[in-house]
Amino acid sequence: MKLRLIDSVSGSGALPLSGALNMGIDEALVGSVSRGEAPPTLRLYRWAPPCVTVGYFQSLEAEVDLEACRSSGVDAVRRLTGGGAVFHDAELTYSIVLPIGHPLAPDGILESYRLICAGLVAGLRELGAEASFEPINDIAVGGRKISGNAQTRRQGCLLQHGTVLMDLELELMFSLLKVPAEKLKGKLIEDSKARVTCLREVLGRQLAYEDAALALRKGFAEACGAEFEEAPLSAAEDLEARRLAAERFSTPEWNERR
Amino acid sequence: MTGRKDYKVPGGKLLRVELELERGIVIRAAVRGDFFAHPEEAFEEAEGGLSGLPVEGLEAAALALFGKAPLRVFGASPADIASALMAAAHEAQADR
Repeated sequence: MKLRLIDSVSGSGALPLSGALNMGIDEALVGSVSRGEAPPTLRLYRWAPPCVTVGYFQSLEAEVDLEACRSSGVDAVRRLTGGGAVFHDAELTYSIVLPIGHPLAPDGILESYRLICAGLVAGLRELGAEASFEPINDIAVGGRKISGNAQTRRQGCLLQHGTVLMDLELELMFSLLKVPAEKLKGKLIEDSKARVTCLREVLGRQLAYEDAALALRKGFAEACGAEFEEAPLSAAEDLEARRLAAERFSTPEWNERR
Repeated sequence: MTGRKDYKVPGGKLLRVELELERGIVIRAAVRGDFFAHPEEAFEEAEGGLSGLPVEGLEAAALALFGKAPLRVFGASPADIASALMAAAHEAQADR
């Protein structure tokens, strides 16, 4: 099936972007796909500066040390999707927007996670990582999580975004998140090391973002039958994304609503 | 009187509930956490539906509101949410 691809590596996507703009683009894609102005779309992207996102139902203030983020130059944004807090830095991030009823977007939420994550699993295997889908919405290697994924459905469309961890920066991550007690921080870092992994650890080498992005494209082609047509955001999508970044994802009314 | 309760769903997500009570009536309820709910707005409607209820009816109301189609919650059940709310209500009642 045909998918529009927006990818900075080959030039159809922008260089790394702020958290507010990345979330604005994902929402703008939902609008344009739902109105039939844009085809089903896969976007591969990065973040600059690094960003902490929290799930739709989380309190940004309760989960994130906003002062630490400010002093470290890290953005903090609440997502359109549920799930937990994520530190976006050394990772490959994707989003996919499909009309409900598309072969990868059946009514069943659990089934659609499985179908879309199959592309990621195939991409990771392409790189030599023995990845497997772990329902509801994770991908693991050797029982340790390497990818988290989150989905929302609005305006007749599915939006799923997620990450593939390329490196782990647990000390930095936990310095940006609020933990129940400072003395537990060491234990949380140890627990996370046991539960989470990254491509550098699995492959035993540092991977270039470009290589990870290429593997993901191959994975979606192989496991989902995707045929890519590269095209950047339209001018209207770009404008709407910037509006959403300014009027929603960088405002306290949105970020601190819960 | 405000009660807060963090409730770890066995094998699941962390619910972080905040409940404000006045003379045994729910003034405001916030059910936060790292769960998923579809559609998101339906969850917020269920949450808003708790306001104005007497604390005696809170558990049954939460079961009904958070279990009502089309709302689907992943990572916590309506029973988990009801339990977390009741625990927060006890905290609030102790907060005199």
